[in-house]
Formats: sequence, C-alpha cells, structure tokens
Amino acid sequence: MSSELLNVLFAFQPDDQELQQKREYDSAIRGFVTTVANISPQHFLKGADTPQDVLELLNSEVNSVAYIYALQARILAAGDSPKTPKSIPDHLKPGGTVWNKIERFLETFDPVQIRYVGGEWRKLLEYVERVARAMGTPGVAISPIRSAMLRLDPTTGTFTLTHLHFIRLCMETRSYVAALPILDNYIYSLPSAIPKPVLEQLEYSVPSADHIHSGEYIHLKSGHTEKITVADVQEYYLLGATAYIGLRQFKKAMEFLEHVLIVPSHNLANGLMVEAYKKWVLVSCLATGSVPPTPRTANPQGLKAVRAVSRAYEALVEAFSQTNFFPKLKAQINAGKDTWAEDGNIGLVNELRDHQYRLYISRLSKTFSAIPVSNISSSLGGNVDELTGYLEKLIADGHLNAQIERPSQPDDGVVLRFFLDPTQGPLAKTELQQQKALLEQTQRTNVLAGQVKSADYRLSLTKEYVEHLKRQNKKAASSAAGEAMDTTWDDGVEADEDLMGDMH
Amino acid sequence: MTSNVEQSPFFQQQRAKGAIVLKGTVHPQAHKDSSVTDAPPDPPKFDLDSYMSNYDGSTRIDRLHHIGATSTYLAVDAYRMAITEAKKGKDVKLYLALTDDFCKIAPDDPLALIDTAWAEKRNREVKTEMDKLEHELKSYKNNLIKESIRMGNEDLGHFYYATGDYTNAHKAYWRMREHCTSSKHLSDMALRLVYVSIAQKSWLSTQSQLVKVDASQMKGEEKLKLEPIVHACSGLVQMSTNNVRDAATQFLKTSPQYLTLEPAAGIVWQREVISGNDIAVYGGLCALGSMDRSDLQQKVLANGDFRNFLELEPHIRRAITLFCNSKYSACLELLEGYRTDYMLDVYLSKVLLTIYNNIRTKCIVQYFIPFSCVTLDEMAKKFQPTGVGMSIEDELEDMIDSGILDARIDLVDRLLISPPTNPRYTVHTDALAMAEKYDHTLRLRLTRLNMMSAGLAITQDKSQQNKDGLDSRLGGEGGIGASLRGLGSRIGFS
Repeated sequence: MSSELLNVLFAFQPDDQELQQKREYDSAIRGFVTTVANISPQHFLKGADTPQDVLELLNSEVNSVAYIYALQARILAAGDSPKTPKSIPDHLKPGGTVWNKIERFLETFDPVQIRYVGGEWRKLLEYVERVARAMGTPGVAISPIRSAMLRLDPTTGTFTLTHLHFIRLCMETRSYVAALPILDNYIYSLPSAIPKPVLEQLEYSVPSADHIHSGEYIHLKSGHTEKITVADVQEYYLLGATAYIGLRQFKKAMEFLEHVLIVPSHNLANGLMVEAYKKWVLVSCLATGSVPPTPRTANPQGLKAVRAVSRAYEALVEAFSQTNFFPKLKAQINAGKDTWAEDGNIGLVNELRDHQYRLYISRLSKTFSAIPVSNISSSLGGNVDELTGYLEKLIADGHLNAQIERPSQPDDGVVLRFFLDPTQGPLAKTELQQQKALLEQTQRTNVLAGQVKSADYRLSLTKEYVEHLKRQNKKAASSAAGEAMDTTWDDGVEADEDLMGDMH
Repeated sequence: MTSNVEQSPFFQQQRAKGAIVLKGTVHPQAHKDSSVTDAPPDPPKFDLDSYMSNYDGSTRIDRLHHIGATSTYLAVDAYRMAITEAKKGKDVKLYLALTDDFCKIAPDDPLALIDTAWAEKRNREVKTEMDKLEHELKSYKNNLIKESIRMGNEDLGHFYYATGDYTNAHKAYWRMREHCTSSKHLSDMALRLVYVSIAQKSWLSTQSQLVKVDASQMKGEEKLKLEPIVHACSGLVQMSTNNVRDAATQFLKTSPQYLTLEPAAGIVWQREVISGNDIAVYGGLCALGSMDRSDLQQKVLANGDFRNFLELEPHIRRAITLFCNSKYSACLELLEGYRTDYMLDVYLSKVLLTIYNNIRTKCIVQYFIPFSCVTLDEMAKKFQPTGVGMSIEDELEDMIDSGILDARIDLVDRLLISPPTNPRYTVHTDALAMAEKYDHTLRLRLTRLNMMSAGLAITQDKSQQNKDGLDSRLGGEGGIGASLRGLGSRIGFS
C-alpha cells in the first residue's frame, strides 16, 4: 500500500524529458494534482514520525506538490484551526519536527509546481500564521511566510491577501526591517480574472511557462489569494507606509501613502484615505521640506472631502513652512494636541518640530559658506556648545554637507563651514556613483515598462475591451459608408438647384 | 519757519497715517523713519515755479497738493499756489480741503482763512450752470438731434470735470457713446474717458479706455497723432500698477512728436497729463529698474526717438550711461541725489521705492558677476558708503534668500563667494531626480489602472456598496466597461 502510494507520488518528475514542452508539463501536472488531491489523508499519515514517513521520503524541492499535500494531511490530523497553545501537538509547534519541515519546505519548494496548488499554499501559510498567533509569538511566522512569498514569486509584485496578512504581522511585532524585502517590491499587478482559454491552451501562457509577470499565474482562480477589496489594498499601503515611517524612510512612506490616495473612486473618499492624507501631509514635509501637489491621478472630488476634514494638518504644515518662525509651529502643535493624539500622529508631529530646526540649518547652506555657530545660536536660541553638538550629529547623520571648524585660538568661536562644491565633503558623490545610480534607474524603468506592457496586454484580453473594439470598428465602418453616400447625394441635389436658379 | 511747519498738526497727522513726509536727505533704508532722523532739511533740486510752469489744468493743483502734503520745505509755497489756483476754478470742495490742510500748517497765513463769501458765490454759480446745462441737454433730447445730444453730454462732462465730480464726468462722457456718429467722435470720447480715469487714478478703467482709443478706426495722420498719447498713458498706467518692465517698453515707444502735439479731444496732453520731462524720468527709471545692460544700451541709449526725451533730463541719461559703464556706485549716488525730487512727483512717489530697490539690487548683482570672491568690506564701501540702514551682510542675505543673487556669504573671513558650478554633476542629479519622479508617477498610474481593471473602487455607502461590490465583481466580465475602455492605449506605452 505504502509503496503504491509512493509510486503515485513519484509519478510526476518535473525534469522529465517529455515535460520540456510547457504545454505537456501543464497537462501532466494538472492530472497529477487531481490524482494527489484525491488521495485520502489517511494514506499520508501512515508511518508518520518513522523513517518511512512520507515527509522523509519525498524531496520537498522536487516533489513539491506531493509534499504540500502530505503536510496538509498532517495538519488536518491535528486540527487545522488551533485556538490555544494546548490544542497544538508538539511536533507542530514552532521548533517541532513537522514545523521545521514546514519551514524548510517554504524556503525550498519548487515555485513552478506550487503555481498549480495555490489553494494549498495559501492554506499552509494561513496555518503557519494561526499557529504562531495561538502560541502568542506571531513573530515566528514572519520569516517562513516571507520566504514562501519570495520563493513563489521573487518579485512579489502581484498583490495577494498574504501580503496584507504578512504586513499586519510585521506591524504587530514592530519588525519593520523584516517587512522591507516585500515592501520594497512594487505591486504591479492585482489578481484578476484571466479568461480560461488563455490559461490552458497557449504554450507561453500556461502557468508553468517562464513568466516575468507573476500576475500570469497568481490570479483569482489560481487559489493563491482570496477575493481582495479596495480596503485590503489600501490597508496594505497604509501599513507599509507606517513601517517605512518607523524606519524613518520618509520618502518611501510618502510614495506609499500616495498609492492610497489615488485609488479609483466615484467622487468619494473613505476613512483609509483620510488617514493616509493626514500622514501624507506630515510625511511629505519631513521628506521634502514642503507639501508637494497631490498626485494628479487622484480623484479631485474625493480629495476635496478628505482635505475638508484635515484642516488642522494643513495649518500645521503651513506653520512648518515658515522656517524662521519657530514659535508658531510650537503653538500649532500645542493647539492641536488632542487631534494628533486621537489620530495617532503625535510622533510624526513631534518629528516635524525637530525637523524644522534641521531644515533651517540646511537652508543656511544656500546663503552662507561659513557661519560662526554663535550666529546660529543667537537666531535659534540655546547655547553654542549644545548647538555644536547638534550640528556635529547632523553632519554625522548625513543631513548636512558641512564640517565644524574649531579655532586655533580659544577666543574665536566655532565655525560651521559648508561645502560649496557638491563633489566635496562628506556627502559628495563621485561620478561613478552617480552613473551607477542612473544605470540602476534605467533598469528599474525598463522593468516598469515591461510591467506596463503586460498590464496593457491583460486589459486587451478583457471582454470590455473586445466589445469596445467591436463597437469602434462598427462605427468606423458605418461612418465611412455614410460619408460616401452623403456626398454623392448632396452633389446631385446641388447640381439640380443650380440648374433651376439659372433657368429663372 | 521750517521747524514750525514740520511740527504743524497737519504733518503730525500725515505721519500718524503712515504717509511719507520728506524733510531732508532720506536714506534708502531710513525712509520709513524719516520723521525721526535729524538731518538738516535738504531742499529738492527743482524750483517750484519753473516746475509747475510745465503743467496746466487739474493736474497742476493735484501736483501742488501732493508736493504740499509731502515736503515740509515746499509746503507753504505749494499750498499758496494751489489755493490761488483753486480759487480760479469751480471746484469748491477742493478749495475747502486745501485751505483746511493749509490752516493746520500755517494758521497765520492770509490764504489759510476760508473765503466764505467766494465759496458761497461759486457754489451758487455752479448750481445755476449745472441747471442750465441739464436743461439744455433735455431740450436737445426732445429734439432728437444726435449731434446736439452728444455735445450736450460733452459739455456736462466738462462741467463735472471742472467741479471735480469725476464720477459724474465719467458717466456724462460715457453717455456720449450712443450718439457718436464718426470714429473721430468715438476716439475723442475715449480720450476724454482716459483723461477722467487718470484724474481719478483708477488705472484699470484707464487701461480699458486706452485699448479703445488704440482700436478706434482712425486713419493715417490722425492715428499717428493718437499713438504717442496712447503709449505715454499706457506707460503711466503700467508704472502705477507696478509693471515696471511693461511701463519701460511703453515709454520707450512714445515718439518725440508727443512734445509738440496739438491738443487731442481738447486736451493738451503734454501739459495737462504728463510732460515730456516726466516721460524721460519715468521711462528712464523704469528701464533702469527692469532691463539688463545690453537692453539698456540698445533700447534706451541708442534709441533715437527716446533721446529727444532724455535730452530734457540729462541726469537720467547720465545715470543709465554710468550703469552701462559699470560705475554702479556713481550711478546710485546720482539717483540718490534726486530721490527727494522724485518723491514729490505725484505718480512716481508710489513706485519709486520698488524701482530704486530694483536698480540697487541689479547694481549689486551686476557688480558681483565678474568676481568669484569679494570682501564684504569692499561691497559695503561700494554700495553703502554712509553706513546708515541695514548692514551689507543683511542686505546680501536677503538678496540671496530671495534668489536674486547667486552667491554665498562667508561670515568668518567676511567674503562674498560665487559658488562653484559643476554642470555635469547638476545634470546627472537632475536627470536622476526627474527619472525617479516619472517612475513614481507611472507606478501610481499603473496601480490605479490595475485597480480599475480588477473592478476595485470606492463606492457609495454600505447598502449600496454591497450592490456595487457585486457589480464590480462582475466587472471582470462586464460592469465597469465604460471606465475601462481604451485604458491600454491611453497609457501610451504599447
């Protein structure tokens, strides 16, 4: 019996000569998945925790489909929705034998095979998360889920609910850095419905083909994600932005928040947009020193509604932009204390206050090449020594391209000297670095162009587009015909009338 | 006597109102608190009598009034002349206002007493004349003769203008509109309206009337006669509305014919509005305040037409030449010498500060261009020899902050440094920043497009959201077709 099972399970070998053609591979693996899915869990459980364990015999890298079903069988046997630590058997607890196997599997599975068992993959990840939560240590789920996501799709550019669950976990445990590998990847596709014929019959469109665009194999029917909603996408971006804020990467946070603001809407806005807008106003001040115009793609009516409820924030940044007027900002901060606290933005607001000093000093570099620290302290307040320390910190943190000069005689004050030439000083970039940055940008743009192209392609597959095209063609045809007829008819009438006019 | 005049209640009121009161040398930065400086009274360079002999009509009183209210030195003389002048006219209100002011300056002067008998008599006369004119107009209207109605309105306009009722004068002239029968009539009417609007100092309506004059269908010589007036008046309007550059262009276009022009629409423009001297001063200063060196050379100094005007005011010509020859401190010094004079000009006084500041900052910028590094002391010596007002550091700091001057200040070694440029580096940085911006914009758009194609959008409230949610779920198959159409081609990337 057991060997029979193994025969079935080993029946699919991805490296088979016959399966080099993607379509053959596709039909073979589809058949295999159906077979394995029909094997009852009891079969998998035989010989569990012995050397004859299916999980020991199967290679997670090669027999990924069979392996994932075997894991599911083990999980099912232990009850797949544990509520308390007690209801989880030891081997499934973090650190247990099967848990370790799950972790290893999630790091090593064959991504192409898993494209066909999206539902199982998702269930497995959900289970991992549930166990981690039940154990009271949600953090342990972060790493396996992340590696599973990256393994399936190295670009992680197709949005799945797993993205959202993952970022929620990271936020709960405040492990912002852990979220970066996923956050840094741009979401270039949302799971959509791809017409069936495209999925099955074309050599280059079957899931097993070498896709650059992960949206080709992660879609609504592939099982990798459940139905997503607007709020899911917005929440992901909002949480992502919060993570970036936590890491003080304000520019990226600002860009993330903009993604929340531009969601299509019927002249409406929702709470997440309000939340995002408030943060966006603050964060863009921190990132750029002023509030840039809102993204043009955003719905103006919706945005208007959002702004109407965010007046306090706009007043705040107005005070912020008056760099030479610190008391006003302080007064604004104090006046709106409750508002900031209620919105959970008090940290950002305080950050704004610190930032105004920094901005003031960095603006000095546009006017002065060297300025005694005592001059700065007389306009900012505070004593020279403290300020010198602060300036040194700013220089060390890379906010100022300057240096502190200490005089040889003690009576001369300390001097802040800015580097005028951008190629000098601690923040200088060499030509090589710049060139590298430009090349990297070119690459990113090219990738993006590819992603746009494939989105365009996908749109051209939708029914609407086809119908639109049909209508367009019909219109063109009919109008062309109409014109031709009209002219001939008109000519005739005119000629007639002219004749008559001449006669009389 | 001057100190009496300075301390007179009238000037104290003027100061309290924040008006400019001149009494002596006024330093550029010290103009606001001129009332506190104790410099000896510095008389303006011109002679009141000969200056006023350039003007006729209502502008004469207007100018005298301005001088009287601004300069303590000339106040008494100016008011005396103005009051004598006003007594000749029909504007009783103006006379009363003038004597009222004068009474506060020199209560003992015989002219400061209100001549009640005269005022009453004049009031009566004015009343009878108005009745007469209105009666005439009525009868013209009954006779339905267009030309008579037009002239009746015109007379009424003249009358109102003379009595200082500019609003009604404007109305009366405007009523001529429908009775005009020739383009000459139309242009005359427009010119009259310009004249009234300038007296009212309502520059917007002056501007619109000037456009009408310019567009009137006059031909040949007639048109040529109108052109200098239009240019001169537009220049005045532009200057008064702070468009220094446009004002300069208009003044420079004015042809020297203006000086000898016959009266148009019964107005001697060069005597009753602005004189040739004024055009030279206004035009020269506006040009100096707004043009760069090569423009000044080409459009002002080498401009044959404008030379005729400049010859009237040789020191303006000298100032421009000095600027072009890079003798900035001499140029500024020269202009500074005439500051008092120009503050006494009724139109120029309002914009003089802006223009002088422009010239000054331009001088500093031009001066600094050939240097990579100048000591602040040298700058101070060149541009602030008196050492009054704000320090040169602060002034330079303001200029750099507002982006006029591209330089950095070294407060330690007291240097003004021209920042080194590195075009290659800048281009690279700019390119990178731009690429990132576009990249991000595109990403935002793609996200939006994806959401639309997946049927995700924020919709109406909860109850409807369910319905819409269903709809958008069907969206993949046929719900949001309208918004989706042509998106692929619209993004323009295929």
